[in-house]
Amino acid sequence: MQATSIFWLRVAAALYSVGVLHAMLTVLKRPNKMFELSASAFSLGVTFHLVALVDLAFAAGHLPADNVYETLSLCGFLIALAFQFVSWRYQFSSLSVILFPLVFFMTLVGATEIPVAGWSNPNVRNGWLLIHVLLVLIGYAAVLVTAVASLFYLVQERHLKRKSTGLFFDKLPPLGTLDSLISNSMGLGFAFITMATIAGVTWAFVENGTHWLGEAKVIISLLTWGFYLLMVFLRASAGWRGRKAAFMSLSVLGFSALTWAAHVGLKPLIEK
Amino acid sequence: MRLLVTGLNHRTAPVEVRERVAFNEGALPDALLRLKSGEGLLEGMILSTCNRVEIAVTCEDKSDPNPSVNHFLSQAHQLEQPALAQYFYRYEGRDAIRHIFRVAASLDSMVVGEPQILGQLKGAYAAAKAAGSVNGFLELVLTRAFSVAKRVRSETEIGQSAVSISYAAVELAREIFGSLANRKVLLVGAGKMSELAARHLRRSGASNIYVTNRTRERADTMAKLFDGKVIDYDKFQQTLPEVDIVITSSGAPHYIILRDEMKRVIDKRRNRPMFLIDIAVPRNIEPAVNQLDNVFLYDIDDLEKVIQTNLKGRLKEAEQAEEIIAEEVERLVLRLKTREVTPTIVGLQAHLEEIRHAELQRMRGKLGALSPQQEEAIEALTKGIMNKIAHGPITELRKHAGNPDGLFIVDVIRNIFRL
Repeated sequence: MQATSIFWLRVAAALYSVGVLHAMLTVLKRPNKMFELSASAFSLGVTFHLVALVDLAFAAGHLPADNVYETLSLCGFLIALAFQFVSWRYQFSSLSVILFPLVFFMTLVGATEIPVAGWSNPNVRNGWLLIHVLLVLIGYAAVLVTAVASLFYLVQERHLKRKSTGLFFDKLPPLGTLDSLISNSMGLGFAFITMATIAGVTWAFVENGTHWLGEAKVIISLLTWGFYLLMVFLRASAGWRGRKAAFMSLSVLGFSALTWAAHVGLKPLIEK
Repeated sequence: MRLLVTGLNHRTAPVEVRERVAFNEGALPDALLRLKSGEGLLEGMILSTCNRVEIAVTCEDKSDPNPSVNHFLSQAHQLEQPALAQYFYRYEGRDAIRHIFRVAASLDSMVVGEPQILGQLKGAYAAAKAAGSVNGFLELVLTRAFSVAKRVRSETEIGQSAVSISYAAVELAREIFGSLANRKVLLVGAGKMSELAARHLRRSGASNIYVTNRTRERADTMAKLFDGKVIDYDKFQQTLPEVDIVITSSGAPHYIILRDEMKRVIDKRRNRPMFLIDIAVPRNIEPAVNQLDNVFLYDIDDLEKVIQTNLKGRLKEAEQAEEIIAEEVERLVLRLKTREVTPTIVGLQAHLEEIRHAELQRMRGKLGALSPQQEEAIEALTKGIMNKIAHGPITELRKHAGNPDGLFIVDVIRNIFRL
């Protein structure tokens, strides 16, 4: 693969990252005026993405879809293009919450086709790993809070639906309180897990070169993140709240537990 | 000191009797004065509410308060004594204290745990205080009753849960929304019950009240009560997506809110929860609405069920409250007895000192001139003798202060020493 093409692709990824920031702020319900900025950065990113693809296509002499990296990059580009079209034609921007992070990640993964030289010094490597672990732990704590609040929500909701004001009824917080707790901790968790995943992907890439994507734990982590993204999207755009959202956040906890297991205890088992 | 409580309540007397025995607020000062001037009575207090009339009096140990109280009652209401007697209960001493405590703690109320009675009792006490008819024993019992009621309220959950339809609705709304601040409420039908519920919701922070009714005028009057807004009855369904709480009490013979419609409403609200209260009979809202996610539908029977559960809970709490009261009665009785013992001790000491002083004066002349040291020695000698004599009786008095037969010892000692 062409080195210049990779460079343009990384520029595109950097521009797409503004959109990720926008998505996080939206999920956390912070009033932000970043949409204009991130939309412009996104458009610019699409342009650089196109440059990278054309560069690569000329070098290879055909459509660059030879391996998983190139395919992801191309796919991400097509999604980005589709989004550009939809938002221009239909003025429909709520998809940005899910598409900005998605395109960013696909491009990021695509930009890891050529291995870099390695860590400049071991302290950077350890520091990077530490940051990744810290971000993950904070993210998991938020996921756990979300899941517990969801469990309470389900119990309390059942009481209210069945009109059985019995055991635990008075002891549990009101549904409204639980729902806003779920929403806040979920948004916070999403922000931290996203940053942790970015840190993890880059670490794995520098560490293992182009083989990093083949590892089971990496795949599982990316799946977890994807599922989290889907939940956040459904809540933010389709207004999934209450029972469905509670079930969903419980399953995110399940995914997170799986990722955890893949990283620590059950690693050899899963990798087999 | 004797304490007597005479009274009737919702259990012992029907409303026809209660309303005849009741004292209205304006007549209370006069009645209190007449009560206190009754023969042998020291203090008096009258508690008169729609569910009970209680007359508490104190008198000296040796006199009987009953004739005076009877006389007062028959005079106050021009009622014949025998006809009334069957409705009245009478409690004396420890039982009277216990009764006052139970009334204050709302254990004797029709709706156990309802909070108004304590305020009413405090009002009765204030009236008696103003009329000068409580100033000692009875006052002590009453002020103690107020703190016992407070203790019961804070240590049990007797007053925690709602026991009326409108409060139950508000309580459920709180369970769903948490804070009710800025919630919007729609009243479909302008009945008394929905008015009451809306009033409670409003007080709990609900901001906008919309009213719709088949006849416009009643909607207008109701809307005025809450600074609300009137909605056209034909088009009230359009308002549904905006409101969080709906109370229906319309006389419509069929469902006016259907499941499919609510499905659209909740989608439009992007699943923000809704609380529907259907207090109409026949019901206004299709029961299947409750199957929708994030919609909570309660009809009149559901609310009734909530109340029944709460009432059961209250009775359970009441058992605990009875224990607190038993404990407090014992404590007060003990304190009152100590109060009777203390004057006896003081009297005994004063009496002995008087004897010593008089005898010393009488003999002093015969002793002639004495040095200051000798004067001091005589003082010490006589005081020592008196203290040794007093030691036995005082110890006995203190020891028996808490016992049931303490009063007997007090009498014996008083007689022996001619106090």
